[in-house]
Amino acid sequence: MKVKRKDYVIGIAFVLPALILILCLIVYPVINALILSFQTWKGIYGTPRTWVGLKNYTGILSSEIFWKSMLNSFWFIVGGFGVLMPLSFGLALLITSKLKFTRFMKTSYFMPVILGTTTVALMWTYMLNPEWGAVAQLFKFLHLDGAIFDWLSTPTLNVWCVVLVNEWMYAGYNMLIFAAGLVAIPDELHEAAIIDGCNGWQKIRFVTLPLCKNSFKIFSILCVTGCLKVFDIVWAMTRGGPNNVSSTPAIMLYTQAFQYKLFGRSGAYSIILLVFGLILSVVMNRVFRQESDLYS
Amino acid sequence: MNKVKNTVLYVFSFLWCAITLLPLLITVLASFKNNDEIYSGLFSIPKTWRFSNFSNAAQTADALVSIGNSLLMAFCTTLMVTIIGMLASYALSRKSFLKFMKPLNLIFMVGVMVPVHCTIIPINTIATAVGGKDNYFFLLLVYTTFNLAQAIFLYTGFMDGIDRSMDEAAIIDGCGDIKLLTSVLLPICKPIIATEAIFVFIYGYSELIFSLILISNEAKYTVSRAMLSFTGNHTIDLGPQFAFVVMAMIPTVVIYILFHEKVEAGALAGAVKG
Repeated sequence: MKVKRKDYVIGIAFVLPALILILCLIVYPVINALILSFQTWKGIYGTPRTWVGLKNYTGILSSEIFWKSMLNSFWFIVGGFGVLMPLSFGLALLITSKLKFTRFMKTSYFMPVILGTTTVALMWTYMLNPEWGAVAQLFKFLHLDGAIFDWLSTPTLNVWCVVLVNEWMYAGYNMLIFAAGLVAIPDELHEAAIIDGCNGWQKIRFVTLPLCKNSFKIFSILCVTGCLKVFDIVWAMTRGGPNNVSSTPAIMLYTQAFQYKLFGRSGAYSIILLVFGLILSVVMNRVFRQESDLYS
Repeated sequence: MNKVKNTVLYVFSFLWCAITLLPLLITVLASFKNNDEIYSGLFSIPKTWRFSNFSNAAQTADALVSIGNSLLMAFCTTLMVTIIGMLASYALSRKSFLKFMKPLNLIFMVGVMVPVHCTIIPINTIATAVGGKDNYFFLLLVYTTFNLAQAIFLYTGFMDGIDRSMDEAAIIDGCGDIKLLTSVLLPICKPIIATEAIFVFIYGYSELIFSLILISNEAKYTVSRAMLSFTGNHTIDLGPQFAFVVMAMIPTVVIYILFHEKVEAGALAGAVKG
């Protein structure tokens, strides 16, 4: 087929707006952050930047607070696989089952995602208020007065509070991912399993779970990469405090630049975040690809 | 046996329903209360329905202005993403014989993978350089860009699935590229555009980090930003804070209730690309 001049013109003209935006606001910033990560800069526009080599990176990697923030991200991943995955898989089983009201359930389970992170975070900050919050009231009702304290300013516990609120918010969303996998399983397989004498649990274990592998893959990749860059919900609930104990890498990146004016160090945080994210998604893809090769 | 099992399942499913919906209900109830009522219990029904909380929030926190700002941003972002994304996808899908389209595809893929947070400092610098601080147009470009890569990915995938014989028939009938895109392909792509549009709309409405770094003028706060600063500043009156949260929820919840099937499909389409 002969390529006409007009095709070139149209092709370039149509793709150009998108290309310019992505080059200017994604590709250039990443390169810029990479350069910045080897410099120090106070963030005042027009002032000179000084090269410092790897100092920003060594500074970060030897700082306790960085590893603390990585640990917090890790708690998000633990919560994701330990709480969110079973929960949303269970919900997916429920809404695809033959129970009544499944449409209503589906709609209400998914509701939290729609509200937006800041709204959810503020709502739960009120719920978790130690003096008049709903959770405190519930604990009082159950005579667990000893367990009532300021959860959101107690180190480590506050991270877990945020993690659980995060799971509350995304349970419905991940439920849909699993439900999409579940409805794709043909009914005959379930019937065959029942004829072969499987009970309910065995059916889930040997038929449903293996056939939902793709959903688990999507969940894992989203969970791991999402946990690494979590920002909004932690920022709105604890501001990374007290004393940075509930910070995640993304929050450190923000505070280093816009509160402590250490823009070079913040640039190094960006690059670490980016590299970790890419490595993790490649690793996740590899893990799941090998497994699917084994089974096919 | 089966009956017992079903009962357990129903109990569990309604328990989670309660856990999901109760915080919403409590927030709505609390938005009509004064401090004394809130301190004495969140679960109770307010004795008098204080609509003044809402007007109070609207006055002291400019709640309605910020909600309007966010709705405007969300609407414009959706429009931009749809137009620019469709143009680019048309080129990527229908002009794929051009040699430079393959590397371009790769660049757009990079756009999907880069976490937003990595770019905040350079974008902040660019904004200072071009006068993009407190500037909705710049914020709009940023929002558009970060949704564009995914939109192009979805649209191109969808367009590749449309039969080419349709194009050929249109071309024989004398359609040019623009006509082909707007009056043949656009109507067919409606479902994918709708799902992606809802996804982008919700993103644009509740986005936080860029409005945090790029907007400093209080009159231009987006809703997430305004809520955070309002709850940070005014710790005395709780009713209006709850009222603000409730007002902020209304637009997206209404959209969700009207189009919930589409929203769910959109969320799924967004997830599967990962």
